Parts: sequence; structure tokens; C-alpha cells
Amino acid sequence: MTDTYLVEPDVEFIKDVKALGGGDVKKCFQCATCAVVCPISPDTKPFPRKEMIAASWGLKDRLVKDSDIWLCHQCGDCSDKCPRGAKPGDVLSALRSYAVAAYAKPKFLADWVNDPKKLPILFAIPVVIFLVIGLLTGQLNFSPEPGAIVQAKFFSVILVQIIFPLLALLLTVSLVLSLKDYLNDIHADAVLYGRTKKKELDYKELGQALVRVLPIILKQDKFSECSENSDRDTPHLMVLYSFIGLAIVTGIFFVVLDVFRIPGPYSQLNPVKWLANVSGVTLLIGSGLMIKNRLSKKDDQVSMYKDWYLLGLVFGVGLTGMLTEMTRLAGTACPTYFFYFLHLMFVFVLFMSLPYSKLAHIAYRTVVMAYNEYSGRK
Amino acid sequence: MDKKYGVYICTGCGIGDALDVEALCEVPEEEGLPVQTHPFLCGREGVALLEKDISEKGTNTLVITGCSRRVNFDIFQFDGCIVDRVNIREQVVWSHPRSEFPALTEEEKEDEENFDVVQMAAEDYIKMGMARVEKVDLPEPFKLDAISKKILVIGGGVTGLNAAIEAADTGYEVTVVEKEAALGGYAAKMRKQLPMDAPYEELLPPMIAAKITQAEIHDKITIKTETIVARIAGQPGEFTVSLKKPGEKTKFDVPFPLPEEMTKDEKGDDLDVEEQHKRYLEYNEGKEDILQLDPDGEMFGAVILAAGWRPAEPDKEQIAHLGFGELQDVITNSQFEEIATQGTITRPSDGKEAKSVVFIQNPVPDDDADFAYTGAVTSMVALKQAKYVREDYDDGKAFVFYQHIRTPGLQEYFYKSIQQDDGIFLTKGKVVSVSQNGDGLIVEADDTLLGEKLQVKADMVVLAAGMTPVTADDPVINIAYRQGPGFRDNELFDEYADSNFICFPYETQRTGIYAAGAIRRAMTIEEAMEDSCGAALKAIQCVESVNRGVAVHPRSGDMTFPDFFFQRCTQCKRCTVECPFGALDDDEKGTPKPNPTRCRRCGTCMGACPERIIGFADYNIDSIGSMVKAVGVPSEDDYDEPPFRILGLVCENDAYPALDIVGLNRMSYSADVRIIPVRCLGSVNTIWIKDALAQGMDGAFLLGCKHGDDYQCHFMKGSELAEVRMKKIGDALSSLALEEERVTQWQIAIDEYDKIPQMINEFVEMIEDLGPNPFKGF
Repeated sequence: MTDTYLVEPDVEFIKDVKALGGGDVKKCFQCATCAVVCPISPDTKPFPRKEMIAASWGLKDRLVKDSDIWLCHQCGDCSDKCPRGAKPGDVLSALRSYAVAAYAKPKFLADWVNDPKKLPILFAIPVVIFLVIGLLTGQLNFSPEPGAIVQAKFFSVILVQIIFPLLALLLTVSLVLSLKDYLNDIHADAVLYGRTKKKELDYKELGQALVRVLPIILKQDKFSECSENSDRDTPHLMVLYSFIGLAIVTGIFFVVLDVFRIPGPYSQLNPVKWLANVSGVTLLIGSGLMIKNRLSKKDDQVSMYKDWYLLGLVFGVGLTGMLTEMTRLAGTACPTYFFYFLHLMFVFVLFMSLPYSKLAHIAYRTVVMAYNEYSGRK
Repeated sequence: MDKKYGVYICTGCGIGDALDVEALCEVPEEEGLPVQTHPFLCGREGVALLEKDISEKGTNTLVITGCSRRVNFDIFQFDGCIVDRVNIREQVVWSHPRSEFPALTEEEKEDEENFDVVQMAAEDYIKMGMARVEKVDLPEPFKLDAISKKILVIGGGVTGLNAAIEAADTGYEVTVVEKEAALGGYAAKMRKQLPMDAPYEELLPPMIAAKITQAEIHDKITIKTETIVARIAGQPGEFTVSLKKPGEKTKFDVPFPLPEEMTKDEKGDDLDVEEQHKRYLEYNEGKEDILQLDPDGEMFGAVILAAGWRPAEPDKEQIAHLGFGELQDVITNSQFEEIATQGTITRPSDGKEAKSVVFIQNPVPDDDADFAYTGAVTSMVALKQAKYVREDYDDGKAFVFYQHIRTPGLQEYFYKSIQQDDGIFLTKGKVVSVSQNGDGLIVEADDTLLGEKLQVKADMVVLAAGMTPVTADDPVINIAYRQGPGFRDNELFDEYADSNFICFPYETQRTGIYAAGAIRRAMTIEEAMEDSCGAALKAIQCVESVNRGVAVHPRSGDMTFPDFFFQRCTQCKRCTVECPFGALDDDEKGTPKPNPTRCRRCGTCMGACPERIIGFADYNIDSIGSMVKAVGVPSEDDYDEPPFRILGLVCENDAYPALDIVGLNRMSYSADVRIIPVRCLGSVNTIWIKDALAQGMDGAFLLGCKHGDDYQCHFMKGSELAEVRMKKIGDALSSLALEEERVTQWQIAIDEYDKIPQMINEFVEMIEDLGPNPFKGF
């Protein structure tokens, strides 16, 4: 622990946190009710009390490096019990968005993701890429042959296989770079404030810790421990598993397409297709429920642009996917191709947002949970 | 007045069940007094019975036996009649239940050696009531020949002006005297003032200018600036006030009493009276005696003291670690206010913008005490001034380090609004040091809410210094009273004008002079305005009470006043010296000069007088003495084992109600005590105790209010003086071969009623161990 700490509050940071959903942060008067009622806060140096004072004092440097903000699963117990209405749950959510943006590479993409005015640009990116690459390579055919409706006639498989793996690669690089910085910072911070006894960061042990926490993540145990907003539990699980399902489906079909050279569309009797359909419907219902929950609980939980942005994308992906399939089965060519284009656009933006939006919690929270397991924070 | 007596015994509330009412009736009957009983005397029929006797039989002296005088006092009040309330309900029946004090069976009654202690007590109390009414008279009010109802307000700040406006609006002539050339006081020197209305979030522009105009154009208000009080002579209703310019010397400047050291000779022995008087005259040369009234003086009925405060200067040695006095940019809150009022907030050292300001609320890190003369107001001022920083600079930052922030009542909303300002940072913490850092300052604090030692860069540091009341070193009121020109005992209250602000706000130890505003305690403008209304009401109450010849406080409406039988006065000055309110002046011979409208009717003079020449129409040495003598003291001639008799003199302000609560709660104590209520323990004359012991009573106790620094005595000094006198009586007792322990005094607060039974019982047991008074039966 440091001897003395030179406090230089960053008023801009406070304004940012307020804009990101922590609008009531300055109401905190440090009673510590939040840290007491939190079902998953550790016994030593518990959150969110310390984060609340640090945030209301504008201590940016301290907070972006504070891994505890990711231990919070935003159940809302603290916000519900806060006597002053400071909404610690929402403040931590805002801090997470801030931290994601702070580590984002490149940073401007994070700013765009958090800025409603930049939404058209974000959607324009895939459109431009699709059109430019598609038209240059001739893989985008605006007058597909009539007959059986096959998406590939319009937006070729090759085009998909050029664009999306490349996008995935870029994303991975961006994420890995961000997470590496982040890990080093949170470790240094944990050492500084005595939350861990480990001095050096050992990636092998960290990897083993990750394996140990994966079941917890997959079973969503921590999220379920939070009692206050238990109705969020099931929809979130639905979305999580539908994404896993869709990822499996996509993986299988990539293999089928590239290795076995069997072109789609595939029979509805195919079990993989079952998984795809079930996942798609689950995604729609799950994200739909989340939207409904947010709409009906406006007073309890703050819903900011960052929340609507992600939910909108997820719901958009599900909806356009299902519409593509249904219009195809209905035999209407034009709408099929239109929705397919939209679907790819949504998928692109969702992918592209992963390291910069709220969706980044998949990566950051996983890393932090693994780190905590590794560092022995209880 | 020809007294026509009537004794009335109420048998309701369990009295008739517990006592032999027939036997009770025999007590007045033996004296030849008519007696009637009624099962419900306070009911309509009961009162009609009394009224019928008054109108038809001409009964004018009523001994009403039943409940405590503290209840139904409005019902048993009859114009032109002397009424005594004999308390056999709370004091006898309720506090001595038959389950513990069984009545005699028919068989037991046959043996004359048996007696019923509860019945005895009730009979004694009736005898005592009958004895008292025989000795008291109906009071006649003391009226001044000419009364002034004008109100003098000392101080033309927000408190004084508001008091003047409030009193003037009610129809009273008011004169405001202000020492400075301009009205407004400190309120006129502020940038903004604290919020006064919902939502309590915005600072307000100073409203003092409007108050000044309002006062200036008021046709009932006279304003005298650059004026101070030279002396206030006389008494409420006829204060003769001499005014003067500040610094001027006049012959009506008030004389000061001789300082302690000048009353002694070289050896340290007290000088004799004449020598002291000579020195006193030398000391006050050129000043007229206090009894000499200024022919040019202006008459006032009452005074409101609103002289306010001056910024306190922090103790540089105590706060050396904060750099005060060393570092130019470490200043007090009032210096900061001055800077803020002049324009944008800049540093005193180089005039540069001060964008980071640290406000420190506590002088010493390891003590959670605030600076001297502070209060909730200093917390709120720090918040207000933090807001100034934010008003002046968009990127300004203000830090407040405190041990406690006090924002009473709805000002909590103000606190919240400040707390929620992005650029204001509040934390509990101990400020360890302030030091120079480049051209700025660095503040180091420990034990903060952030959990560690902090350093903050500051352009300026502001200390939450207090508001020193001007009474700290100046009497201000300059009253021409023999006891001195200012309030006594201000040192008990850190030199604030003592006004007993919990129980009796605005009251001071000088009747007719009411304190308001920051002279009472550090307070905000809002509080000062409320205070000024209170003091204005008190001043009005005072002149109107004086006009009707009754006491103002705390015996509001009491028509009696002390009467002196001067032929027997030995000029011992004890009454003059001991009166807690300075009501008595004396002439050069030492003969007391009463000022009845200064008097609060506590009777401390009566208790003090060794010649016993002071008394009230309905409360005097003889009336209480006769009650003492009316107590039956059985001796061995009456019974083989006669019961003990203990006298209890009980202060009627808190102790007597506490004793009533004991009865109300059916708690019991020895039936051998006989209670007599007194106005204040200060009024207890030792002769009563001597008489009690001389007639064979076995002990006596005094039950009254707490005294000392946190006194609860309604007359400030009464219980304390009683304690001194009881010590002296102890010496007298030992000379009579009586044990000193037979007389004692207890302090009790009204909420400690539950302790009383045990106190009494233990005392009675102790007396029983000492054995009966050897003078019994003589």
C-alpha cells in the first residue's frame, strides 16, 4: 500500500461516468450498505463502496485498473438498498464501459460505439465493405439467378469467408492487446492495494485458473447468486447459450462447406439445423425478454445508450436471421436477400463492437474471474 | 381581607377507598372550619359546590384537598380567593398503596399503640394546608408609575433589524442602535447566503438590503447608527438608557465593580467596606453612581441584545501545522468571504485564480472538536464557499475535510446538492499538514473515507473559524446594576450571552434583556431571523407583563413580588449579592433597593436573608414555617414506638412534578416524610429546617435541580446557593449535638423520578439508624 496518495480528481471523468449511466454517483455518502448487501462481494476490501468514493472523487486511474468492477454482475441489490439512491450497480456498469473504452484499441471505435451520433457510421462500415469488396470481386450479385432461393447466389460464400474471418482476426488482435495491458494493470493495482500475494503474473497458472472458472461462467453461477433481478437470469442464460449454439452451428457449417464442399441450404431435418433453429429462436426470445425487462423497469435500473445498443444488435441479429430463413422457406426471393444482407450487417456490427461495447464483458469478466481465481481473492 | 375558610375533600381517584374520610373531616372540624366532601370535586357538580360556597357563603379561603396542584389548576382557580391545594392523591394515596401500607383492622384500632401512617400523612397535609392559608394574603400587583413600552434593540445587523421590524409591526415603538456607520452587520458583507426555502439547493442573494430599507422606512422604528449604549439603568418597563458615540466618555458611562484584586490590601486581606467603597469611587471617577438616573436618558420597556459577532481569530500556535499565519494562502472563512464578495476568487499571495480550494473544518487532527465558536453554521458556510469556487470556475475543485458536517433540518438538502456537485469533494479526515508546494499548497490528510493518507494540491486553504460573540470581552449592555454591567457566568457558555437556550431561549440572567442571534450561539441568517422573532416576542411579553404587574418568566403571571421590612435590615447585602438576576441594587450604606420588575420571584433573597425580613404575599417565612409547625411529630408520650418525621422541601419546578410522577406510577416511598413545595431551593431559609429539628422532626431533605456548569435550576443559582447554606447549617447542627447527616440535599432532573423513592427510603433508613431526634417531645 502506498504511503500517501496524491489525489487529483478528474472532473471530466466524473461527467463521463455520469453520462455512461452512473448519473447518481455523487449521491453516495459512504454508508457502505452496498458492500454489505452485495451477495458476491469479497470479505476483504469489498466492492462497490470503495469504487463509489473513488468514482465520486474522479479517481480515473485507480478505477480503470480496478478489477473488482468486473466481479460485479449488476444484479442491482446494492442499487435497491442504497439509502441515498446513488445506484452503485449502475455506477459500476458505467465504470466497466469506461474501462473497456480506456483499453480499447483503437480508441476511436470505442468512442463511436458509445456515441449515438456515430451509429449510422458503424452500420455504414459493413455496407461499404460488403459493396466495395463484393462488387470488386464480383461476389455480390444483385441479380441472382431465379430458382431455388440460395443466399450464396446473392452474397457468395467466398465473400463471407473473406470478410468475417478477417474481421475475427482483427478483433482477436485488438482484444488480446487490450487484455494484455489490462491484465498487467489490474495485477499491478492488486499488488499495490494488497488484494493479492502474488508478485509476478504467471500466465500458465492463470490459464489453469481460467479452466477452473469456466464451468462457473458457463453455468452463470455468479450471475444467479444475485437475487434482486432474478428475472434477468434466464434471458441472459438464453442469450448466452444461443450464441454458443450459433457459434457451434457456424463452425460446423464452415467445415461442411469448406472441407466437404456441400453447399447450403441444408435440410430442416438435419440435427445441426435443429440446433441452429432452436438457438435462433432462443436468441430472439432471450433478447426480447431483456428488452421487455428494461422497458418495464425503467425506474430501478438505469438503461443507457450502451445498454440499448447491445440489446438492439443482439435482437437485430436474431430477428434478421430468423426473417431470412422464414422468407426463404416462404419462397420469397427478394425479402430473403434483403434480410440476409441486413443480417450480415448486424452480425458484422455486433462482431465489430465486441471489444468496445458492453459485449466486451465476455472477455474482460472472464479474464478477471480467472485472475481472481489465480490471485486468490476471496 | 377577612378570611372565610372552607375545607373541601375530594374522595375520588381512590382517596375515599384508601383513607378514613370521616377522620380526615375531623381535622378541620376540630379547628372549627367547615368541611365538605365530594366524590368528584373537579367535575361540574364539584366545582358548582365550590362556586356556590364562594358566592353564597362568602367563602374566600379554600383548602382543596385531593389531587396535586399541578393538575386542574385552571379548574380550581377563583377570582379573589386564596386557594391551597392539598395533595393527598399523588403524595399520599397513590404513592402509599394499601397493599404495602395496610389500613388498621377494627381489632388493631382498639389498641391505641397502633397507628395508620398513611392516614397520619393525609391528616398532616390538611393541617399544613390550613396553616398556610392562614398566613398568606391575596397578592396585589406591583405597578410602575409610568411605564414605557418602547423596545431598544442593540445591534443593527440582520438579527437586530428583523427583531425591530417584527416588534414594530406588532405596534411597538423600537429604537435600533448600531455601533457602525452602516446598518447590516456581517450580513451586508457576504457574496451570497444559505438557502432558506425549498428545494434548499440554490444560494440566495443577500436579503439584508431589503431588511435595511424595510427598517428605515418603518414609522415605528428609529435608527441610530454610530451609537452605543453608555448605560441602561432602572428596570423593565422603565429602563433609563443613556446612549453615546463609540469611544466617547460621558458621566453616564456605567461604573464597573471593583476588580477582585483591588478589594484587598497589600497583605491580601479584604479591605473594609468603607475603604472598598472609596476605591470603587476612585475607580469609577467621573461616572455617576448606578442609582443616579440620567435626566436626558431615554425610557425603554425592554431590550433586545442583538450585538452579534466578529470573526474568530484561530489560535496560531494550536494550528501551526496548518500554516496559518505563515502561508499567505491559508486564510479563514471570513477572509475568504471577503475575497468572494469583492469578485472572483483569487489567492491573497499573488492574485492568481484559486481553482483548487481546500476547506478544513477541524483545527487539530486527533481531536474531533471544531474551531472555537463554531456550530452547524460553519459546516454550512464551508459548503456555501465550496460552491463559490464552482461558481467562479468551471474546472474549479473544492475539497472539504471534516470530522463532522452539521446541516440541521432541511439544510440536509443543501448538503446533498453540494455533495452532488461534480467538483466538490467531501471527506471525513484528519488534516495533518499544509505546506508550500511550488507556488501552491499541498494538504495532507489521514484517515479519510478513501481509506488512506491523501495529498491534495491546493491554491488556497480555508479554515472554518468561528463567530466570537461580542460579549466575549465587552458587557455591551452596560447595565447600571450593582452586580455589574454585563451578564454573569458567561464563562460557562464560552462567553456567549447565556440565554439557557434549551429550555428558555432568548432569556438572559437579566430580566427584560433578551438575547438573539449570534450573540447566543454561532448561527445562520435564517436562524438569526427566527431568533429575532423569539426575542421580540419575549420583549413584548416583558413590557406587557410589567404593565399588568406580573412576573414575565419563569413564573409567568405571578403577581407577587418580594416585600422588604426595611426597619430590620442590617445592610448585610446578602440579598443584593445572591440575587441571580441582579434585581437588587444597594445604596452606599448597603440598604437594598428592590427593582420589582427585574425580579423573577424565585425567593432567593428570602432564603438568603438572615433577618428574615423578605417575603411574598403568598409565600413567606411564616407561611412555610407554619406548615412545618403544623406537621404532627408524635413522641414517646404518644406511642411506645413513635413514627419518624422527615421534612422534605421540594423545588416546585422539576422535583415536585417528578414526585407527582412517582405517585402517578404508583411507586412508593416512606410514609414518614412530609413534603412542602418551595419556589426554588434558593428560597429555602435555614430557619425552617432549624424549626423542624427543634420541634422534634428527625431529618430534612431538600430536593431540587442540578447545579453546576450544566445547571438545570430555573433560577440559575438557587440549588447551588441552597447547597452552600445547607453546609453552614451542618455546623449549626453539630453545635446542637445533632448529626449533620440529618439534613441533606439532592439534585434531581425531572426524568429521574424513578430514583426518588430509593433516595427517600435510604435517607429514612439512615435516619432510623441514627435514632430519633433527642429534642422530640420538648
